[in-house]
Amino acid sequence: MEGFIATGLIGISLGSQYTLLALGFTLIFGILGVVNFAHGGFYVMGGYVAYYCSAVLGLPYVVALLIALAATFVLGWLFEVLILERVIDDHQATLMVTMGFYLVLATGILVIFGAESPEFSFPISGVWRVGDVYFPYANMVVLGACLAAIVFVFWLVYRTNVGRSLRAMAEDRTVASALGMPTKILFPFAFALATGLAGLTGALVTPILALAPHVGDPVLAFSFLTVILGGLGSVTGATIAAFIVGLIEAYAAVYLGGSKGALTLFVLVLVILVIRPQGLMGKEVRRA
Amino acid sequence: MDGANLTRGDALRVESISKAFGGLKVFHDVNFTMPAGGLLGVIGPNGAGKTTMINIISGRLPPSSGRVMLGDTRVDSQPVYSNAGRGLVRSFQQTATFNDNSIEDNLLSAIRFSGKDRSVLERLAVLLEKFGLVENWRRDANLLPYGLQKMLGLTMALATEPRMLLLDEPAAGLEKSERGNIDDYIAFAQTEFNCGVLLVEHDMDLIKRLCPQVIVLDGGKLIAEGAPGEVLARKDVIDAYLGGSDEEDDHAQHS
Repeated sequence: MEGFIATGLIGISLGSQYTLLALGFTLIFGILGVVNFAHGGFYVMGGYVAYYCSAVLGLPYVVALLIALAATFVLGWLFEVLILERVIDDHQATLMVTMGFYLVLATGILVIFGAESPEFSFPISGVWRVGDVYFPYANMVVLGACLAAIVFVFWLVYRTNVGRSLRAMAEDRTVASALGMPTKILFPFAFALATGLAGLTGALVTPILALAPHVGDPVLAFSFLTVILGGLGSVTGATIAAFIVGLIEAYAAVYLGGSKGALTLFVLVLVILVIRPQGLMGKEVRRA
Repeated sequence: MDGANLTRGDALRVESISKAFGGLKVFHDVNFTMPAGGLLGVIGPNGAGKTTMINIISGRLPPSSGRVMLGDTRVDSQPVYSNAGRGLVRSFQQTATFNDNSIEDNLLSAIRFSGKDRSVLERLAVLLEKFGLVENWRRDANLLPYGLQKMLGLTMALATEPRMLLLDEPAAGLEKSERGNIDDYIAFAQTEFNCGVLLVEHDMDLIKRLCPQVIVLDGGKLIAEGAPGEVLARKDVIDAYLGGSDEEDDHAQHS
């Protein structure tokens, strides 16, 4: 029973990380209609910026987090304005451009920091223990930070005028801009928000998991999986799906073991998609 | 915004517009002027370039050459939302509302995006009542009958307090009995908002009823302009466009 609870906590913790990644991914898809292959790159960059600020420059970890968030936000903004905006209406071009940018980011990090994992560990150690349930403090802090960020995103998207505008753009950007919505400001903002979330997640999670130039690959895969499961473009769907994925992954890993865990996850997702091809919260595509 | 510098209802001048997509020429040297606060019908067979014309005037597509002026402001090749901010607002052939949003929220979105305030709703009250939007005030737009969705989209365009409306087949898809709404809508836009209206439409009865002037596009050229009675009697127009009776064409368009 204790193992069951502890595994559940890990699953929720994983779920909150996947949520942050998937929220950014789904926002970009929903609002700009772009599948952002560079998403994992911003996660890696967030990790390295946080590493450099805290381990090399000696800044407090919280400051390093904020700098990682700001750096990935700014880079995302610039990337959208300078590159992506030029090809925004061409689906194939956006795929090529974001994938190319991921390669540039990952290779740039490889050149600057080398291929080996740097020494970057979470500043808080120790384990919280109630009865026989163990939960590392580091995971608890990450969980808390992720949940706070998720609440912030939901507040922004559902309770503010900016969020209403973002949702309207996701619904129909042609109509929204025809009514006067400034897409030239909101597109880069949405993109930067998403990349900032990926960077923040990287800065929070890589000290617990691993930091290396290539750790963005599985991030992209899991973001994709989560967002398709939740329904492309759906914020709520992505959140629910992320927690499902996190919990399945945790339980399958503990009770079934390594590779069977991943297999279980993919089979379950496959089954769900056979039953609901549009994802949990996705809408059926209607054509005029 | 620059919109403040414009006087109410500026003339719209389309000057030597040409447009090619690759080797495909959509327009050759199209010229016309629409007087301030006027109402101009645009007709032509399918593929004549009517929607492309609206896309160019609203800024969505840049012309290959030529320019479009609203008063003293050049509006072609400008972002669509900037032109909307100047009061140059278009409607869409299809329904153009935000799904899963109530009628109220849809109208409030239009008001917010255009930087106006809620008092616009009072100006629109008569229209909202007439179209039956008030009685469905809190229903989601996608749950409304097609005709109501269409009128909501058009009313949202009006909620931005436009100076010049570009209407892309407002009557398309409406029941015959609902088409009177378009008459009311255009009359309201002109009297209440002093707004110029460019009306692209296939419903010839509507065009004849409402428009003092029409232009005819065919194969990317402006082949005729004048009062609808005269223009529609011209042989080249009949050959180019009508082929048979109005009624048949109307059916072909919507089937």
